[in-house]
Amino acid sequence: MDKSVNSPSGQINKTIWRIFFILLGMAFFWLVYPYIKVVFFMLIISWLLAMILNPVVDYFESIRINRGLAIVIVMVIILGSVIGIVALVVPAIMSAIESLTTKLDSDLIKNLTIQLEKFFQDNFNNAALARDVISKLEQVGGEMIVNIGRVLKNVSSYVAFIGIVPFVTFFLIKDKRLFKRMLISQIPNRYFELFLNVLHKVGDQVTKYIQGQAIDALIVGLLSVLGLFIVNLRFDGPVPFFFFIGMLAGVANLIPYLGPIVGAVPAIALTVLNNPSDVGVIIVWIAVVFVLVQVIDNNIISPMVVSKSVNMHPITVVIAVVIGGNIGGVIGMLFAVPVWGIIKVTLKEVGWGLKSYKLK
Amino acid sequence: MKSPIWENIIFRKKSENSDTLEFLAKVPIFADLEDRELVEVERIVHRRKYKKGEPIFRMGDPGLGMYIIVEGTVEIVEELDNEEKKHLAELGNGAFFGDLALLDESPRSASAIAHTDCDIIGFFRPDLLDLLYRKPQQGIKILWALARVIGERLRRTNEQLTQLQREIKAPKHG
Repeated sequence: MDKSVNSPSGQINKTIWRIFFILLGMAFFWLVYPYIKVVFFMLIISWLLAMILNPVVDYFESIRINRGLAIVIVMVIILGSVIGIVALVVPAIMSAIESLTTKLDSDLIKNLTIQLEKFFQDNFNNAALARDVISKLEQVGGEMIVNIGRVLKNVSSYVAFIGIVPFVTFFLIKDKRLFKRMLISQIPNRYFELFLNVLHKVGDQVTKYIQGQAIDALIVGLLSVLGLFIVNLRFDGPVPFFFFIGMLAGVANLIPYLGPIVGAVPAIALTVLNNPSDVGVIIVWIAVVFVLVQVIDNNIISPMVVSKSVNMHPITVVIAVVIGGNIGGVIGMLFAVPVWGIIKVTLKEVGWGLKSYKLK
Repeated sequence: MKSPIWENIIFRKKSENSDTLEFLAKVPIFADLEDRELVEVERIVHRRKYKKGEPIFRMGDPGLGMYIIVEGTVEIVEELDNEEKKHLAELGNGAFFGDLALLDESPRSASAIAHTDCDIIGFFRPDLLDLLYRKPQQGIKILWALARVIGERLRRTNEQLTQLQREIKAPKHG
């Protein structure tokens, strides 16, 4: 009996067993997914954080700081910043929600309703339509505010998140090479060089892409904060919590074309609710701020910091965001474009590997 | 009792693969490295076993890195268009091959096939580049030693070429 590795029946048996175990693994993952969804998201966030922080740790290591100590330094700085921001932002958001709730119960909405009814009666001869629209908006807005308040009050979820994510991130950075070696040691010799090469190329491009997106989001966020700060200075503070809204616009920039809308809408809504005297002019200025930020992002920042290897057509972006929303809600929408970028890069490099390596 | 977490953070854990370390110390490319630097290299190499007849890499594959034979014999062959194989060399314990792939991704100029069951250590270009970024002084030592090895091969190739040219010209003057 031919016992060499090239025995055809042996190879077929091995392949069949491998496919069987892969399908079994996928089915098992599908069954347990609802129970491990939260842990799964925490692992993904830890992995993304590790990818963003790894170059900083590598830099410290290159100036002869022990890797473990370098990770502790970086994580303390990052964690301290996050805790500081959460400690400042969460009470501010709670205060804003209470303020919004008060305003929604006030005469402001009644006055707006009367004006809107008059407009619809004069132009469309249908005042009832205005009442229906306002009623629906009140209902949706009220539910959103209640849900946001409920999430923010659920402190235990933050404690788990803030505890587990840094812990996992620390070991992902520290033992990155160990995990990689463990993974590669399971690959059969026939696919070893192909797998190693593709893993390096994908890892390199994905890392650059994620880092570029993070830097892009940070710069867009800071520019939005600066723009809203200038509007506040000019018009005596019409946009409360401008720092939070600006940074939210930065995070929302992960979804192309959506960042300025996510930033502009709450800024305009809060301005309208504050009801300043020159509300029309302020709204125009807010819109100009976000359009300017988007122009600077598209023409200067993005080309410099975001890898071109994962450029996507707008239709692809929309499809990815819709699928991401169906899978993971708002978080899914935010991560849909980076995840699709990772998949695109992986498929491209795997295709390159299969063409370049002789696997016979 | 030692805390496993703090031990991992502060103190560098000695590698359990001391035989890999001893072997790496004998490889000319790592000849300039100190013991603690060899530990760092041991963490990034890949040790694998190949069965007799198994290819380690094929001619034309993108070059990824070098291999060091711990135990066994590897045959270097040129695969011709008519599916014949031209034997080029047979390498044994302690030999290394494929070191030019540490410099770029040019296609392999020959195939390496396990002539017997082999225990082999692989050291690859992406890991070398990563080491160069994280520990530049150590990376430069490896590159310098690699340059010496490649320079020595080039010198010997020049000598052989000169000898061949002399042998070709000799009958004309004979």
